[in-house]
Amino acid sequence: MGRRALGVGLWLLIAAAALLVYLFAPTFVSDFHSRDLAHAGVFFIAIVGLNLLTGYTGQISLGHGALMAIGGYTTAALVVHEHWRDVWTIPLAGLAAGVVGFLIGLPALRLSGLYLALATFAFAVAMPSLLRKFSGLTGGGQGLRLLESSPEQVTGISGTVTIFGHSMTQNHFLYYLTWAIGLVGFLIMWLIVRGGLGRLFRAVRDSEVAAVSSGVNLARYKTLAFAISGVYAGVAGALLAIQDEIVNPLTFTFLLSILILVGAVVGGLGSLPGMVLGALFVQYLPDLSTRVSSKPGVPDFVYGAAIILVMILLPSGAGGLLRRLAEPLTTRLYTRP
Amino acid sequence: MKSRVHVILGSLVALAIAAAASGASTPGVTSTEVVIGGTTPLTGSASAYQSVARGAAAYFKYVNSKGGVNKRKIKYIYKDDGYDPARTSEQTRELVQQDKVFAIFNSLGTEQNQATRPYLNAIKVPQLFVASGATTWGTDYKQFPWTIGYQPNYRAEGTIYGRYVAKTSPKARIGVLYQNDDYGKDLLKGLTNGLGSKAKLIVSKQNYDVTDPDVQSQVARLKAARVSTLMLFATPKFAIQTYVYARRLGWRPKVYVNAVSSAANIMGLATNGTNKKQTEGSLSIVFLKDPTDAHWAKDPGIKLYRSIMKRYKGGNPNDVYAVYGMSAAHTFVAALKQAGKNPTRESIMKAALRLNVKNDPFLLPGVTVKTSSTDHFPLDQAKLERYHNGHWVVFGGLFRVR
Repeated sequence: MGRRALGVGLWLLIAAAALLVYLFAPTFVSDFHSRDLAHAGVFFIAIVGLNLLTGYTGQISLGHGALMAIGGYTTAALVVHEHWRDVWTIPLAGLAAGVVGFLIGLPALRLSGLYLALATFAFAVAMPSLLRKFSGLTGGGQGLRLLESSPEQVTGISGTVTIFGHSMTQNHFLYYLTWAIGLVGFLIMWLIVRGGLGRLFRAVRDSEVAAVSSGVNLARYKTLAFAISGVYAGVAGALLAIQDEIVNPLTFTFLLSILILVGAVVGGLGSLPGMVLGALFVQYLPDLSTRVSSKPGVPDFVYGAAIILVMILLPSGAGGLLRRLAEPLTTRLYTRP
Repeated sequence: MKSRVHVILGSLVALAIAAAASGASTPGVTSTEVVIGGTTPLTGSASAYQSVARGAAAYFKYVNSKGGVNKRKIKYIYKDDGYDPARTSEQTRELVQQDKVFAIFNSLGTEQNQATRPYLNAIKVPQLFVASGATTWGTDYKQFPWTIGYQPNYRAEGTIYGRYVAKTSPKARIGVLYQNDDYGKDLLKGLTNGLGSKAKLIVSKQNYDVTDPDVQSQVARLKAARVSTLMLFATPKFAIQTYVYARRLGWRPKVYVNAVSSAANIMGLATNGTNKKQTEGSLSIVFLKDPTDAHWAKDPGIKLYRSIMKRYKGGNPNDVYAVYGMSAAHTFVAALKQAGKNPTRESIMKAALRLNVKNDPFLLPGVTVKTSSTDHFPLDQAKLERYHNGHWVVFGGLFRVR
């Protein structure tokens, strides 16, 4: 009983700390840099979504950038063509990407491992061309510019946003919005993976044969994982569109898919807390590597070397490191004497 | 607890805003410095244009060495956007919010500047001397009063080509390759206007997107349409490709190459990638002194240009884009001088709208930089030039283009 209370207390403490960090992080950086943090939040949401698919269900996706494109373009098209308020498009963007995620999940029933990775990769590579093809809806190669087409629907165009009577800068607003959605998404994901549903996903990952013989419907849970993961990617894409105020095919190249996967792997597949570090890694590494030297080729080299180094030093990602650090505490909490 | 945190947070933000407002000084202007910034493609498909920013930066250093403007040194920050409008937005925001620039100066590209224009106008930051000839910079000033362009506009350029073709080769079969954005469409519209009743001479129109890898299939289609006169309304990379693919197909049309790709070094690359015959006889317009033109070898303006490029490491001195950058910088300095002892964003915008600079040493003789409250096109004069034996040769008189 005391042990259980201690466990609950520990979680509450962590949650309170996370909330404090969330509320006060922007006060430690300049106004402009809170926009960078907001951008990291986009990666965070997409990575949490991918983690369910790859980390917990064992399905590799190299097509998450394309799912983000679905979300981003849904938001942009609704704002530009239908003059919706930008933030209200987020749920629909998530839904649209969820449906597409479900559809991509269908081939996953027949393909596994590398073959699935290739199929989703093809989706990511084709996405920019698809976006150019349907130019009536997507603006073709030029993309859609939210600010130019319907400025009145872009929250914070005047520089400040007032929420619950408090006015804040647009950058702070974007930060709080993105990470609020990120934290709620994180909480939902946590509830999913630690409950019965999470156990089913893990069963699919660990052995499909064993899962089927225990009565798990593979088709249902694989497509479900793709759909949920798609919703997260769509929401992330919508937030990206709102932050950049512009979407074009260059925003959603297959490189974005790779970045999200890198973030998930660095964060530690199958671990949720590590995802924050994975997102920060993906957001800040390009900047840091340009700072080493901006000579042609050098940033890319530093970038690649950093990823390799992380993989050598932390094969289980940042999440694995966190788990190891917390081990003395958690083993005492959860093992019975 | 959460609401208290919000109250604290809210009051902090309010305090910060109040503090900023009470300062009332112009961002980017101190007693010793004026900070301006812009974006340019240091990387990517249009990276040839980075010489514009480098030339401008060298000229500002030269002005600073002479004591600056009203004892203020000009600090010019240019950032790489890779010619991607989404990155232009991001970098411009950084310039305004992080580097606290006084104004955005000469950012390059049509779509790129269109992407930032609503933002800059919403927060009233001058977007000065946009490095793009799209017509919108000069015509849409009522909607975007904080934006002004620089070079002769693309529609006017297209009109010159149209009139010239209609006059000199009324039986031409005209093909057009244009970039699929406002820049390419402006040129095409101008061409059609200039051709007037001869507009039906256009037998094929092909376009490409900035994000396309190449224009191979477009060139093949133009050849298949038996085009004899090719309007090349494309940026340098695609313009060079067009010459190269045409040569591979054994096709040699008469080429009108738009001014944004007719720099002597670009034509040199196109010639090296093909042969002398392929580029011979190409036509374009010009408003700057071409540093590779022997005609200007002893010209004081080009001499000054070469010494600045050498002294302040502006890059390849044979690159006319650097001359362009220097001319834009020269115009900015003129505007800053007119903006008063303590320039504000309002005063520089006003100054930019009553320019009358006749002595810009980097422009063709007779070309003036002139604006007024109703004329938002700083440059609107140009001459025709013909590529002959590896060099551009200017011919004919000065056109006033509108």
